Amino acid sequence: MVASNIHKENQHLWELLSEVPDPEIPVINLVELGVVREVKIENEKVIVTVTPTYTGCPAKKLFNDLILEKLHKNGYADVEIITVLSPAWNTDWLSDETKQKMLDDGISPPTHDNAVVVCPNCKSTNTKTISDFGSTPCQSLYSCIDCLEPFNYFKCHR
Amino acid sequence: MNITIENKEALWLLRLADTSMILGQRLCEMCSKGPFLEEDIALSNISLDLIGRAEELYKIVSKLDGEKFTPDQYVYHRNERQYYNIKLVEQENIDFAWTIARQFLHDIYAKEIFSQLESSKNVELAGLSTKVLKEISYNLSHATDWMYRLGLGTEESNKRLQDAVDHLLKYTSEIFKWDDLDRLYYSDCDKIEKVWNTEVNRVLGEINIKRKEVPELSMRDFRDGFHSEHIGHLLSIMQYLPRAYPDAKW
Repeated sequence: MVASNIHKENQHLWELLSEVPDPEIPVINLVELGVVREVKIENEKVIVTVTPTYTGCPAKKLFNDLILEKLHKNGYADVEIITVLSPAWNTDWLSDETKQKMLDDGISPPTHDNAVVVCPNCKSTNTKTISDFGSTPCQSLYSCIDCLEPFNYFKCHR
Repeated sequence: MNITIENKEALWLLRLADTSMILGQRLCEMCSKGPFLEEDIALSNISLDLIGRAEELYKIVSKLDGEKFTPDQYVYHRNERQYYNIKLVEQENIDFAWTIARQFLHDIYAKEIFSQLESSKNVELAGLSTKVLKEISYNLSHATDWMYRLGLGTEESNKRLQDAVDHLLKYTSEIFKWDDLDRLYYSDCDKIEKVWNTEVNRVLGEINIKRKEVPELSMRDFRDGFHSEHIGHLLSIMQYLPRAYPDAKW
């Protein structure tokens, strides 16, 4: 989904934006997360279309600031960010590779309807919910029944 | 600053925006007062969802009404009578059962209205509705889970939940007294009431909480900006800083 949006002619811009990390999960960048939807240049102005993960995500404004900072630093003075809500962001946009990065970083990646939640520590699927709400709007708190490790789970949103 | 709104869709949408905002503010009060850490975090997260939802709704209101005011101005510079939230959401956090019962009664309503608004002719509102429904499903499951735990918990938790439900139900009948604007923008007003009643009755029936007949309150309608006594106190706290320091910036 995300990869198919990458347009050859603006590849350089996409690559730059792929260097902007999610402030809460720095191993994932804003392109992988699906926040950056479209990049185009019109009359020498860069127009970046973004969609928020959650309507109340505190990182919403930070996403925009980080994008502006990155593009300004790389010589794009005229940048406009447009926020769209439709189609709504969802966790189906995360690729398997992105999910693997999350898991390696200690965050259990989303599965359909939260059916199987893997412990990032011992990879057991024998886990339990502590709370549906966690340290950020996109995560829940879980713990592993086998190794007893508490961990964050990136909740399914679709 | 005198905020006036002329566009009728904007006026109607303000009801939804204000309802999200005021409930978000009420839940903010619970931050650091939750019964345990995880629950504290949950309530704050739900509050964040509501305030984020309100902000997006105010943006649409602003657009519909010629962008005369920003979301912040709508929130911080209107008085009681200019707020159009349902009275249910301004009720106080008397104890945890009240917080949960209020959320439960609200979330069932929110789920149905945003489901209908997914097919709104206003494409931005339709898009936002699809988005917020994903958040509402988590919020509603949180509230419902607690309704079961409190209702089926101890004699004390059941009694407290019953008290909360008895009080809060008084403020729900006005929700379903639809006016022309509601009928214009919702696809099926009667269905909202039907779905709400079915779901409330189903859950209350399963958790040993009675739904008592409540006498009609002699209070005028929220659609005309009428409130219970609590809204003024809530606004005075919420609006204090931007009113006292109009140029304050984050």
